[in-house]
Amino acid sequence: MTAGLDDLIGPLSAGSVVAVGGAGLVRKPMAASARDLVVVSFLGGVDVELLLEAGCVAELHSAGVSLDAAGLAPRFRAAREGGTISFVEWSEGSLVASLEAGARRLDSALTRSGLGTDLPAVNPWLRETADPHTGAPVMAARALVPDLALLHVPWVDDRGNAHVPGDLAADGLLARAARRTVVTYEERRDLDPADAAISRVWIDATAHAPGGSLPSSCHPLVRADLAEVGRIAAGSAG
Amino acid sequence: MSGAADLVAGALAEEIAASGIRVFAATSPLTVAAALAARRLGRPDLAIAGGFTRLDADPQPALTLGEQGLVGARPGPREGIGDVFALLARGAAGVAVAPAQLDARGRTNLSGIGPPGAPRTALPGTRGLADNNDTPARVWYVLPAHSPRTLVEAVDVVSGPAPGLAAPRRLITPAGLFDLTEAGWTALWLAAGGRELVDGAPGLGVTVSDGTPERAAPPAPVLAALREADPHDVRAVEMADRAQAGALWAEHARREAAGAGG
Repeated sequence: MTAGLDDLIGPLSAGSVVAVGGAGLVRKPMAASARDLVVVSFLGGVDVELLLEAGCVAELHSAGVSLDAAGLAPRFRAAREGGTISFVEWSEGSLVASLEAGARRLDSALTRSGLGTDLPAVNPWLRETADPHTGAPVMAARALVPDLALLHVPWVDDRGNAHVPGDLAADGLLARAARRTVVTYEERRDLDPADAAISRVWIDATAHAPGGSLPSSCHPLVRADLAEVGRIAAGSAG
Repeated sequence: MSGAADLVAGALAEEIAASGIRVFAATSPLTVAAALAARRLGRPDLAIAGGFTRLDADPQPALTLGEQGLVGARPGPREGIGDVFALLARGAAGVAVAPAQLDARGRTNLSGIGPPGAPRTALPGTRGLADNNDTPARVWYVLPAHSPRTLVEAVDVVSGPAPGLAAPRRLITPAGLFDLTEAGWTALWLAAGGRELVDGAPGLGVTVSDGTPERAAPPAPVLAALREADPHDVRAVEMADRAQAGALWAEHARREAAGAGG
């Protein structure tokens, strides 16, 4: 199915949990959204900066937010230092465990990630416990189930499978964990479905959105707009 | 050319080549250069990960090419995102990281300066520091300066826990190469002027024995491998001061935009 992006995303309200694909400056879907969302961004970058700028974020779940080589993310820093959003800080491994639990509709998943750190003190979704079989310390990561996963890819094939020649980051997991997954794409192409990165069985809808990742990249079709990223890093989005 | 960049990247290349790891997770152009050099130093089979699901990528040292530089034209099979954590848990992977703080016990911080959850200065966040520090995998802390701001007695926020004693942990800075042992950090070799830099960051508690060797430059075969792997000296940008880095960045960006990324 292909339709307009706004129609596909459907109604979002305050408190809706929206997961954003990509990582850092790579394949970040850029779309207007509702206010006071709970945003999940595995590794955030320009997506988090622009959503904060638009006042869309009430709570942010992430393992880290930066503008990569362009430096720290100023709105994210200010929001954390000023306490204007709730930042739920994860490690990469514990966030993956949480999303894996969400994908399987479990209440939580066990992981070592976060043991011995300060994460449980700042993330109520992580709780240290004892492995029920061995008694060894483990971290129980509560399941995250996004209401919507919004992903951007270079190609969708004729059957609606998503093709990503670069790094998929957590996108495949987000598609499995979310209640609804919308994939925007640069081009529709006649590609071998066996080479797809995300099967259409995890995708609810696709939408043609050329340039939909800018200013982040969409390898190999779109390079990051580093001038715009620089303006964001300087605190002034274009 | 940058002597510090050669020294640091060369040390990392030697470390990777000698480590026996199956996969090295590249996290910056300098680490890509070091891994490519390691292939030329007796590890032609070394896989270089360019992201979470491309664990056998085809990278080149580049600043502005994004995934074109990190993943390359002919990456190996796609893996699941959980596989990188499986590799770390098995000790089969190695990674070089640059925490904002590293302490005397090998704990790391990339979350913030100030109390946990209430940072005076917010940093990016924990990222993978919790994952790689708590495994038997090889972790190299690669820092552009031997600074007392970064190398501290105790981190403000524990992003990466204290590693187990069986987990190899080494620090590479312009001051030299350091190993984390039961007794704390020990210098394996020092760069020229390294002893003064170590003395200037006392929080880390580095032990420097009288017989600690000094090194002015990487061994010739290592330097040759580095220059072959990174002919445009992209590695120098990470070790440059802010003003110099800006000029180098602009120069490389022009070259890469012109299609001379390799």
